[in-house]
Amino acid sequence: MHIPDGFIPLWQCIIYYIIIIVVGYFAVRWAKTNLQEKQIPLLAVLAAGIFAIQAMNIPIPWGTSGHMVGAAIVAILIGSPFAGFLVLAVVLIIQGLVFGDGGITALGINIFNMGVLGSFIGFYGFKGLRSFISDIPAVFIACFLGVAIPAVAAAIELWVAGTFPLITGLYFMGIYHIIIGIVGEGVISTIVYVAISQVRPDLIALGTRVSNKSF
Amino acid sequence: METRTKQFIIVGLVVAVVIAILAPFLASSNPDGLESTAEKILNPGVSDEAVVQSPMPDYIIPALGEDPISGSIAIVIGVIIVFVGAYALAFFLRKRDSS
Repeated sequence: MHIPDGFIPLWQCIIYYIIIIVVGYFAVRWAKTNLQEKQIPLLAVLAAGIFAIQAMNIPIPWGTSGHMVGAAIVAILIGSPFAGFLVLAVVLIIQGLVFGDGGITALGINIFNMGVLGSFIGFYGFKGLRSFISDIPAVFIACFLGVAIPAVAAAIELWVAGTFPLITGLYFMGIYHIIIGIVGEGVISTIVYVAISQVRPDLIALGTRVSNKSF
Repeated sequence: METRTKQFIIVGLVVAVVIAILAPFLASSNPDGLESTAEKILNPGVSDEAVVQSPMPDYIIPALGEDPISGSIAIVIGVIIVFVGAYALAFFLRKRDSS
């Protein structure tokens, strides 16, 4: 769901840039008080893996494809939505500047949708869900929502921008990203969560580490 | 750095690089969800012209042409840039021990 240049009027681009600068300020504050040195390897490896897997578009029906976003699983594993924000900001800046994927003017809105909404929905979705269900299905559903809801938000933003009609925009963005959220995001995020829980559970944040009932 | 943390980084990077090398061969070339929606319902008069030309547009090395190998090299370079960038950013912003 990388929005290209030209889809969002410049004045609206500026608003999204301002929002992410404010979130960025709080992310820096979070990191300076909470990001432990031992978490850096996991954060950097996840960033590299997300960049690679975002280049691997999975075919979905209707002649369309999609790829993982990854913000939710970073937020869950590192234990803060701000970690997901920082990782997606790095990934999206490199994609936009070096690979022409997502416009430079649209960098603010793309970081807002995937880095801010994806991370916060994924993180708090997981925290909320795991009080009702066990950890693994909670990861799956939270990461699914971390793609599906930003896609719906993007459809609304593109309607506000005068780029897509509202109802058909919601319909197509919604239906494509529900599929992507299941096969691209939910499944891969769950595999990553289980794998890291097996090999290096100590690297996962205490508050979101797998509880014994799940295995 | 602990040996097992070094091992974790190496294994993680190997996985990322393998995905990066395979991506151009395996990835679907169909438009993604947003592009596909735009093809169907984009309002008239909207265009998606890039404001700046990027050095490796569409994940290829321009000098090597539109070839999967060219794509693999471009994506591996991207993996390295992102890893170094994320590591450096996190290291710079990390919580310092108050000693």
